[in-house]
Amino acid sequence: MNTIKRYLRPEQIRELSLIVIIVIALLIFGTQINNYFSIRTFNRISASVMIITVLAVGQTLVVLTRNIDLSVGSIVGLTAYVAGDIISKNNDLDPLLLVLIAMGIGAGFGIVNGLLVAYGNIPAVIVTLGTLAIYRGLLVEISNAQSILVSNMPDWVGDLPRVNLLTIGDFELRVLVAIAIATVILFQLMLTYLPYGRRLYAIGSNPEAAHVAGLPARRIVFIAYILSGALAGLAGFMFLARFGTITVGAGVGLELQVVAAVVVGGVNIFGGTGTMIGAMLGSVLIGTLEQSLIRMNINEFWKDALLGLFILLAIVSDALILNRLRDLWTSDEMELRVDSEKTQAPVSIEHKETGHVAKP
Amino acid sequence: MTDERKPILTINGMSKRFGATQALDKVSLTLYPGEVHALLGENGAGKSTLIKIMTGIYQPDEGQMLLDGKPIEIHNTAQAQSHGIAAIYQEPMIFPDLNVAENIFISHQGRGAIVNWGKMYRDAEDILAKLGVHIDVRRQARGLTLAAQQTVEIAKALSLKTRVLIMDEPTASLSAHEVAQLFRLVRNLRDQGVAILFISHRLEEVFEISDRITIFRDGQFVSSNLASDVTTQSAIHDMVGRDMESFFVKDKAKRGELLLSVRGLTKYGKFSDISFDVYHGEVLGFAGLVGAGRTDVALALFGIEPADEGQIIFDGEPITMTSPAQATDLGIAYVPEDRREHGLVLPMSIASNITLPILKKYLGRFGLVNYTAEHETAEAYRKRLSIRTNSVDVQANDLSGGNQQKVVLSKWLNTNPRLLILDEPTRGIDVGAKAEVHSIVNQLAQDGLGIILISSDLPEVLAMSDRVLVMREGQQMGIFEGDEIDQEVIMTAAMGQAEQTRMSS
Repeated sequence: MNTIKRYLRPEQIRELSLIVIIVIALLIFGTQINNYFSIRTFNRISASVMIITVLAVGQTLVVLTRNIDLSVGSIVGLTAYVAGDIISKNNDLDPLLLVLIAMGIGAGFGIVNGLLVAYGNIPAVIVTLGTLAIYRGLLVEISNAQSILVSNMPDWVGDLPRVNLLTIGDFELRVLVAIAIATVILFQLMLTYLPYGRRLYAIGSNPEAAHVAGLPARRIVFIAYILSGALAGLAGFMFLARFGTITVGAGVGLELQVVAAVVVGGVNIFGGTGTMIGAMLGSVLIGTLEQSLIRMNINEFWKDALLGLFILLAIVSDALILNRLRDLWTSDEMELRVDSEKTQAPVSIEHKETGHVAKP
Repeated sequence: MTDERKPILTINGMSKRFGATQALDKVSLTLYPGEVHALLGENGAGKSTLIKIMTGIYQPDEGQMLLDGKPIEIHNTAQAQSHGIAAIYQEPMIFPDLNVAENIFISHQGRGAIVNWGKMYRDAEDILAKLGVHIDVRRQARGLTLAAQQTVEIAKALSLKTRVLIMDEPTASLSAHEVAQLFRLVRNLRDQGVAILFISHRLEEVFEISDRITIFRDGQFVSSNLASDVTTQSAIHDMVGRDMESFFVKDKAKRGELLLSVRGLTKYGKFSDISFDVYHGEVLGFAGLVGAGRTDVALALFGIEPADEGQIIFDGEPITMTSPAQATDLGIAYVPEDRREHGLVLPMSIASNITLPILKKYLGRFGLVNYTAEHETAEAYRKRLSIRTNSVDVQANDLSGGNQQKVVLSKWLNTNPRLLILDEPTRGIDVGAKAEVHSIVNQLAQDGLGIILISSDLPEVLAMSDRVLVMREGQQMGIFEGDEIDQEVIMTAAMGQAEQTRMSS
C-alpha cells in the first residue's frame, strides 16, 4: 500500500479514472450512433479536441497560479480573423510566418491581461471577463462585420486539416493534431523539469509563502498570461484552417469548453495541482461529448448546459473524493522523526540554568 | 568567548514609524555566529517590525544594517536570502502541493536550467540527514505536522546557506516533545555557526536555549546581556518598567450585586478551567499575552464559540450560552478586538451601524426602518460619547480609529447591556481618544454595568481594573486585586513564573 502511495498520487488516480470515463462515454455513444467507431469519427472529434487542447494547455498555466483566463475565446476569434485577413491579402506568405504572427498577436493580448492581473492587482475573473468583451468588440470593429472567406486564401490553408503527418494502415495522424499533442508534451515537460514550471505550482499552492520565499510572483503570473495568449493565437490559426470562413462570432463560447476541459482534467481551480496530461484528457472528454452530441442531433443549448453540469460535477467530485484520497495519503506513519544520537548537544547548558533561577 | 568572534550582523540606530506610532526608535542589535540570541519584549515592543525590516518586507526610516561589517540594504525577501538572512514564522510557510524536497529547494537559484529530480531528492535527503531528521522527501508537504513543516523550513534555511536565522515564536503551537526536538535542531544549527535570533514569549524556553538576551520595550532598546547574567526578575523588569503616571486611573468601584459567575469554563484546545465572578459596577481586567486565550473566553461568554464544559450563572440563573442573539437578549454585549473586521460595517453610516444589532426595534409601518428614530438614537450617542463627526450619516469608513471605536461602543450600549465585554478597546487609537475611551468605561462602571476588559496594554489593564485575571496559554494563572495589581506581578504570572513571583515578593 505504501509503495502505491509513494508512486501513485491521488491526482494521478484521478487522471486514470478520467480515461475510464472517456472509454465508458465512447462505448455509450457507440451504441447510440451508427458507424461510430470509424476513422471519420476519430478525425471529426480530433479536429475539435485539438483546438480545445491547445487552449487548455495555456489555461492550465494560468489556473495553476490561482488565476483564470476567460478571454481566450475572443483571442481565438481575433487572431483567426487577422491571420485570415493577412493571408487573404498576401497569398504567398510563408505558413510558418503566419503561425508566428497569429501567436504574436495572441501574446500581445496576453500581455494586456497579464499586466492588469499581475501588476494591476485586479482579480483575474474581472480582467479577463472585461477583455473577453473588449477583444470581441475589437473584432467587430476591425472586421466591419465582413467575414473572411476561404476562397480568398491560398489552397494550403483549407487543405491543412486533412494533411497527414503519418499514416499507419487506416489510421491517419493529422499534422494539426500532432501539433496539439506536441504542445501538450512540451508544456508537460516544462511543468516537470523547468524551475519556472515548478514555481507556477508554488504560487498557486500558497501565494503568501511564495512571497516570503522571495519568488518573483508577478513576473511568473505575467508570463503565464503571455503564454496563454500565444497559445490562443496558435489555436486561432488552427481555427482558421479548420473552418476557413471566419465571422465575427468565431470562437464565441470556447472559454466555457476550455475551462470545463481544464477543471474536468483535474487542474485545481484554486491553483497548485494539475498536469497538462490531465488537461488533455479533459479536452478529449469535452471534445468527444461535443461532437457526439452534435451527431445525436442534441440541441445546442443542451450542449452548453451539459458542459456547465460537467464543470460542477468535476468540482464537487474533487471536493468529495479527491480530498478524502489526499487525507488517506497523508494520514500514515511517514512523519517527522528526529534522531537523538545524531544530534547530541555538544555545548553544555548548565551555566544558564544556574543563571535564571530566582534568588529569594 | 563570543566576544572574540566578529559579529555577522549588526543593526545600528534602526527606526520605523507607522502614522502616529513609533514602532522602532533607534534600536541596535548585534548577532554573533554560533549564538542563539533571544529577543524579548511585550506585545508592541517592536520585535515584529525589526524582523520585517531584516527580511526586507519593511524599509527602515533610518539606521543601518552591517553584514560582516559592510553596510547592506534589503528591499525584498530574495535579497535577504542572498545575504544569508532567513526567517521562520509561527505558522510555517510551506507549499502543500509540492513535495518535501521541492519545498526545501524552491527559493534556490542556479540549480541548473532543468530540474534534476534525482539529485534534488538526494540533496534533500543529505540536508535532512545532517539535521538528523527522517521525512520522506518525495512526500507532498500537505498534511505534515506543524513540527515537521518547521523542520522542512529549517532544512530550507540550511540549504540556502543561511547565516542569520530568525525564528519568530516557533514554539507557540508545538507540544513539549516537539519543542525538545526543535531545540535539538536549533543547537545543531548553532554549532554549525549560524546566528539565531529567537523570539518567544515563554521565558523558560528562552533561558533554556539562548546564549544572549536582548530586551525591547515600546520600540526602544532596553538591555542586551549574556543569558547567564539575566534573571527572570530582571528580564520582566526590563520588559515592563515604564512609568504609569500619565495613565488615567479609574474611580474606586462601588461593587454592587453579583452579576456573572463562571465556574470551570473549558473549551478543548483553547482554554480550560476558567472561574471568576463579575459584580455590577466592577471592571474585571483580563491580562495575558497575545494568544493566551482571553478572546476565546469572551467568544464563549458571548455565545459565538460556546464552551464545551463549565457553568455560566448570569443574574442568578444558570444558562447555556449558544448564540450571540441569546447573549444580546440576556444583556451581554461584546465589543470585538478588530473593529474594522468584526465591529463595524465600514461602508454603512454611523446611524445604521449603531442600530444594527437591534434593528427590529426601529422598524415602523410595513416593516420599514424608521429613519427618524434611528437618527435620534445615533444623535444621542454622538453627544454622549462625543463622536467627532458632522453628521451621523457619515460612513464609518471615514472616521478615525478612536471615533470608530466610539461607534462600536454606541452600537453595543444601545442594546442596553448589563455586562459589557471589551476586547482591546484602545488598540491602534491615539492617546487622546484612548483617554476618552477610558473615561467612558469609567462612567459605565459608575452607572452599574459589569465590565470585562481584555487588553494587552498592561498599564491600561492595571489602571482601569478593580481586579485582574491573568491567563497564560489557556490557563487561569490567578486573580489579583488591590496591592497585588502590579506590573511585575501581572507580567510574571502572564509569562508563567507564578511561583518565583511569590519568592521574590
